[in-house]
Amino acid sequence: MRLAAVDWLFIAWYFVLSIGIGLYYSKRAGRSISEYFLSGRSLPWWLLGTSMVATTFSSDTPLAVAGIVIKDGVAGNWLWWNFLFGGALTILFFAHLWRRAEVVTEVEFIDIRYSGRAARFLRGFKALYLGIPVSCITFGWVTLAMVKIIRVIFGTSGTTALAVCLGLTVFYTTLSGLWGVVATDMLLFGVAMAGSIILSVVSVEKAGGVAALVAAVKAAGAGAGKDTLAVFPPLGRALPLAFFVALFVQWWAVYYPGAEPGGGGWIAQRMLAGKDARHAVKGTLWFAVAHYVIRPWPWILTALAALVVLPGIAGAPPGEMEAAYPRMIAFLPKGIAGIVVASLFAAFMSTIESVVNLSGSFLLNDFYRPFIRKNASEKHYVAASRLLVLIVSLAGAGFSYVLGSVRMGWQLIMELSAGIGLVLLLRWYWWRINAWSEIAALSASAATAVFLKAIPANGLVRGLGAALARAGFEVDAWGVGILVTVTVTTAVWLAVTFLTKPDDPQKLLAFYKKVRPGGFWGPVAKLNGRAYGLQAAPFAGWGLAVLMIVLLLLGVGKVVFMEWAAGAAYLAAGAVAALLLSKVIAKIDWEGRG
Amino acid sequence: MALGFWGVGLPLVLFAIVFCRTAAERAAVGLPAAVFGLVGALIYRAKE
Repeated sequence: MRLAAVDWLFIAWYFVLSIGIGLYYSKRAGRSISEYFLSGRSLPWWLLGTSMVATTFSSDTPLAVAGIVIKDGVAGNWLWWNFLFGGALTILFFAHLWRRAEVVTEVEFIDIRYSGRAARFLRGFKALYLGIPVSCITFGWVTLAMVKIIRVIFGTSGTTALAVCLGLTVFYTTLSGLWGVVATDMLLFGVAMAGSIILSVVSVEKAGGVAALVAAVKAAGAGAGKDTLAVFPPLGRALPLAFFVALFVQWWAVYYPGAEPGGGGWIAQRMLAGKDARHAVKGTLWFAVAHYVIRPWPWILTALAALVVLPGIAGAPPGEMEAAYPRMIAFLPKGIAGIVVASLFAAFMSTIESVVNLSGSFLLNDFYRPFIRKNASEKHYVAASRLLVLIVSLAGAGFSYVLGSVRMGWQLIMELSAGIGLVLLLRWYWWRINAWSEIAALSASAATAVFLKAIPANGLVRGLGAALARAGFEVDAWGVGILVTVTVTTAVWLAVTFLTKPDDPQKLLAFYKKVRPGGFWGPVAKLNGRAYGLQAAPFAGWGLAVLMIVLLLLGVGKVVFMEWAAGAAYLAAGAVAALLLSKVIAKIDWEGRG
Repeated sequence: MALGFWGVGLPLVLFAIVFCRTAAERAAVGLPAAVFGLVGALIYRAKE
């Protein structure tokens, strides 16, 4: 495919605007570490929430969703929609606690919550683990996905544009810190969404309009015995174990970047950067709505149109199914193609800038400052941060070259941490969790994952698989593997927790006074002379948030397929849930001073 | 930031007029253009 001069002109203009915004904030970011990594803790909810969703919207996300829809139909999206249960939990139970904790990074949480040498080891280990291998894999994964897109669109001629894009993104991110990241994220998310919407409209037109598209997809599905348009898996057949695991286990057990149980990574960074606890809560709520309700339907429509206009795509290998998304760009007219290509660059840039800023924060705040150079000036730490961000960017770019199969590497990272979610949730609400609990969970999860990789057909897996099949599930290896890992990990970290000493009472007391969590803090609350109880309202809020997101998601889906009456009914019900949720949110004492 | 939004919205308006062939295409490009204009205006007002 060849872009016209006007397309390139728009792409170049878009680069100028993004970089201009990024550089505008470089002076402000240089004042201190708090400004560089947390924007001086002054972000309003709409800015921090949009930045969360922009970061989670990567260049490969539309491709992945397109691949899911072509292979498993719309219902296949529950593989990632399930995270909305955990997302709602983060909004109601954790966002305000993160903001009250007033740490710089999620890793620094270890320093205020746990005591002793185990805590020091855990902090240093997690800083290096999240700051180097996890960041490099994410960087390499996103960059390789962009290379794939570029190759589909241009052949090899676009790699120069990609190198320039990468260089410029790293340049302004290094200088402008989180200020530049969140400010450009606003524009990048807008451009990325505009491109998705434009591509979906043109794709549906190419497929003959909505009615013709629906008829053609239904006819093709009927031939293969499946309902591609169904939003839920069909009832009356064996329930796929993967669906069950996604719906009931994955969202609280698996550490997935952007959907960490209880919040973590760039989500925690933005909650920490909020003006106050209320802004952190509202921003995370806006992220969930934008993430699950606004983003997916244009990608789903484009994928369904690809099923109609690209012959043979339904039986193609997974890689080709995903490549169907950029292939649809060929149907765009001159001028419009440039906007869509820029939107893919926008998705790419918004993720890269956040990943390098976040990894820089781990390496500076949780490794360099506590272990290498204590008590230096803020100017020194900002300079060191900029250098670390640059080094991580170069390492990530280098990693993209040597990484053959990103998918395998990334799956390994997920599998290694598949059972640690529960300890990350409970550490806020149960005084007895200590650094050893986290160390045991990380070790047991990794050891179980390695064992399952080395001996996949062991007695445990076979026995559980057979029992689940007898119970009526359609068993798959991935689902069984997750269940085994979660069970083993939970048993190990619980045993280790009770076999090791509790944290230093003074440390726990300081944490309890500062963060003011409810839950199971008996002895610490007694020491404090006052217990902070769990309120009932967040539980109701969680149910309402889940209900609202699901209803709005279904409502938008009905509207895009022009089922106006059903769409209006779902949207109206979603609006009622939103209204009730806003009343619950207004009622909760987010600062916990009452 | 407001300038950035207007800077994207304005070319989109021009593209909708010059390059779009059908009403659906014009709506698909015009609507985001309007949103960019509006968000730019909101950010400008918030800063003032």
